[in-house]
Amino acid sequence: METVTTQDITVNDLDFIIHYNPDICIMCGSCVAQCSFNAIEVAPQVRKHEPTQEGAKQGHKKKILFVIRQKTDLAHACVGCGMCVKVCPNQALSIEANPESRKNLLARTQGVIKRGGRASSYSLRTLDKIMVGRISQMTDPALDSERHTFDLRAPLGRILKAQDLPLKVDGQSLSLEKNCPPVRWIYPLLFSDMSIGAISTRAWEAIALACAYLNEECHLPVRMCSGEGGMPLKLLKSEQLKYMLLQIGSGHFGWNRIIKSLPLMRTDPAGIIIKIGQGAKPGDGGLLPKKKVAPHIQAIRGVPETALHSPPTHQGLYSIEESVQKMHLSLNAAFGFRVPVVIKCAASLTSVAVYNNLLRDPYHISGGFFLDGLQGGTGAACEISLEHTGHPIVSKLRDCYLTSVAQGLQGQIPLWVGGGVGLTGQAAADCFKLICLGANGVFVGKILLQLLGCVGDEHGRCNQCNTGKCPTGICTQDPRLIKRLDIDRGAEAIVNYVLTFDSELKKLLAPIGNSSLPVGRSDALITSDYAVAQKLGIAYAC
Amino acid sequence: MFYLNSFENQKRMSTQDLLLRIAEQVAQGETQFTIAAQGQHDLGGPLWNKDGTKLQFWISNPGQRVGAMALSNTEIVVQGSAPADVGWLNAGGEITVLGDCGDTAGHSAAEGKIYIAGRAGTRSGSLMKKDPTADDPELWIYKSTGSFSFEFMLGGKAVICGMDVDQRQSVLGDRPCIGMVGGTVYVRGKIPELTPEVCVKALNADDESFLRQGLPQFLAKINQISALDELSKFSLWQKIVPNQSYTPVTRRSLQDFRLESWISGGIFQDVFPDKFASNGLVARGIYRLRVPIWRNNLGAAPKEKDKRVNSCRDCRICAVNCPEAAISREVQNEQVVYTSNAELCIGCGICVGVCPEGIWVLEDNFELKSMDG
Ligand code: SF4
Ligand code: SF4
Ligand code: SF4
Ligand code: SF4
Repeated sequence: METVTTQDITVNDLDFIIHYNPDICIMCGSCVAQCSFNAIEVAPQVRKHEPTQEGAKQGHKKKILFVIRQKTDLAHACVGCGMCVKVCPNQALSIEANPESRKNLLARTQGVIKRGGRASSYSLRTLDKIMVGRISQMTDPALDSERHTFDLRAPLGRILKAQDLPLKVDGQSLSLEKNCPPVRWIYPLLFSDMSIGAISTRAWEAIALACAYLNEECHLPVRMCSGEGGMPLKLLKSEQLKYMLLQIGSGHFGWNRIIKSLPLMRTDPAGIIIKIGQGAKPGDGGLLPKKKVAPHIQAIRGVPETALHSPPTHQGLYSIEESVQKMHLSLNAAFGFRVPVVIKCAASLTSVAVYNNLLRDPYHISGGFFLDGLQGGTGAACEISLEHTGHPIVSKLRDCYLTSVAQGLQGQIPLWVGGGVGLTGQAAADCFKLICLGANGVFVGKILLQLLGCVGDEHGRCNQCNTGKCPTGICTQDPRLIKRLDIDRGAEAIVNYVLTFDSELKKLLAPIGNSSLPVGRSDALITSDYAVAQKLGIAYAC
Repeated sequence: MFYLNSFENQKRMSTQDLLLRIAEQVAQGETQFTIAAQGQHDLGGPLWNKDGTKLQFWISNPGQRVGAMALSNTEIVVQGSAPADVGWLNAGGEITVLGDCGDTAGHSAAEGKIYIAGRAGTRSGSLMKKDPTADDPELWIYKSTGSFSFEFMLGGKAVICGMDVDQRQSVLGDRPCIGMVGGTVYVRGKIPELTPEVCVKALNADDESFLRQGLPQFLAKINQISALDELSKFSLWQKIVPNQSYTPVTRRSLQDFRLESWISGGIFQDVFPDKFASNGLVARGIYRLRVPIWRNNLGAAPKEKDKRVNSCRDCRICAVNCPEAAISREVQNEQVVYTSNAELCIGCGICVGVCPEGIWVLEDNFELKSMDG
């Protein structure tokens, strides 16, 4: 028998333990064949043999059985994705999260841990402590969510006060004296930035397809942000470009192709988004491991085959003022001041200062402030940043909104928020509450992947988005894995979810008597947490 | 005739006192009432004469819900305008308002007739009903209604004559007939955009005969008989009815949408062509994650029956255990060769696990560079 020492890593040191029942296993091999993490294998197992009377032979007390066995080295540790359980015809396998796991500690003996997904250490959600407490019954006229019509549109772009609009009377009609800042009224749920590269071509296309479908078949003006990995050329040259917000991140990936496509564009994009930071890992730049920089990613991003790091911040920007003036100006100019340009930052203690600066923007070139909270997802980050940096979104949104109210400037620079929206599956409730607290709209990313089939969660399941081994074909560039993703079924799930979201949002709007978005209607909210009530300025109830 | 001024000696009678006084008179057999009201509610219903004689009311300055729950054999004439809820839950009364009406006129009326000489407010005619055992309720309006009119209408007939309305303006306000599932709204004048649950149709012979019979009576009640000729031009009328053929819009399947309306060939066609076929978790051939390789460690393939250590024993255990029967055994030049057929093999590694000599190994499949080869 092999010697086992205390320092050897065994199954009980790992995050997930596989339970296996050899009695019902038919050795079909499916579980082992499909495990993209190579975490299980077929191995001989020595068993005690009870010989029958006749067959009894001296010295033959053992027999060998072939079984499915979990690997125990850290490099092949099971990540709990559950694909083996899905595929087993006899339900001979099950997985259990191991509360006594030592992997978190042991893996750090091999260097900094990188992973994707969401933070798991910050599981408190202020949103879940808030209820919609003001239900019109005798006071204001309530609406019927199914039969009344609603106007669910949120602005993207700089909104001028009526008296500042450059209008002049021209005989019987009004005309513009000079260029007016562009504003797009879009659906308050935005598909947010997941780059081509971080996610597979198919996953990205599934989201773009769902977006177009929602516009053209369901008449919901949903928009999608490209992420910082550039844009497919064919999309840049198509009519569907109008559904897209193009993102420029600190790595400036893909912009060469975007700029060269300018003369070929048939229509303007919906907006431009300057990404300064990401809520899941503020201060940690973008990261695309070499494994995922496949030839097509090299082509789209305009890079050689190497690991791609976006610097933690834009290198040409040294102050808030400069980022407003330089970045906003250049991108406004590139699209002829016809396309709203917005900025996205990770929520932080300093967000209000940034927002104040935008509010003062004298050139009317800042079209929105996107705030990303710490429960957002990411394709790859150092776990230490993921778990220990960031700022919750709710109070930060509230601070920003109230600072604009105090100056009488609310609504002029639309506030969009995200980071954990839909974490409980109920994005409509999150969206409604955030809008009541002052948001104009919300953006979602992770739940779109989950709708495509991603099994990652905030309790540590899977989250291997950085490894290129994504078992669902979403966060990988490996054709063998991408092939697992059914683009139509994936897009359909997103479409159906958004349609449900739409109905559910109306279910919350109707009882408070709003047929348009209740931006800032914090009087509709209550909380039984006194501290939350105090901080957000909403009613305390118990 | 019972005459009552509800404002005497600088004192206004409460609604309760007034209604009780009227009820008392009705119980004593009085059938005709002239009431100078001061905004008291619910005048005119539900009241009945014990001998079945008709009750008649002439009311000025009523409060809300005049004629509410009025029973048949009740006739009410309001001199001038009336506030909200005229004829609410009308159960058979005939109510004439010689001015404008506030919001929700005719709300939930199930029988009887309501005649309005002017405009009716928001949500007028909402939830009008039809009792299958009785005549349809009717709501006649000389001018127009406010927005959200005829919401959730279930039955009955409404007539909006559109007189004295600016031609550019809707005679039904905004968003009328939402959730309307029954009844008919006859309109003369501009109709705003309607929900797809209802549709606009031209009048048929029955409609025309309904109007031809009803209009003179209505116009006589509101003293506008001179408008009869104008209103009898039936080509200027339309009717709104529930759209029987309305089915909630069916959407194309995602696949049809992709094939018919999405960017042809997919957006990555130039750099990463994809035909969008998908595989199950367990895949074969080039899509396997790992592939088994049979190698003879000693560099020489075994001769049949020549069993050597670290060389294939020719025990056939791999071939027997392969779940896909992918392993074939051949004898070539007196030597045994085992091969796994890529088209059958799923890359499970059972052959690797069962081989007593470690001759089979599992290797990562070559990196596919494109989706289909
Ligand atoms: S749960 Fe996932 S990682 Fe673990 S063995 Fe099963 S397929 Fe492999
Ligand atoms: S999939 Fe199930 S039945 Fe097949 S080998 Fe694995 S455990 Fe056994
Ligand atoms: S399924 Fe893919 S996308 Fe989801 S957590 Fe795992 S690796 Fe990431
Ligand atoms: S890997 Fe599995 S399917 Fe392929 S030859 Fe070996 S046992 Fe058969």
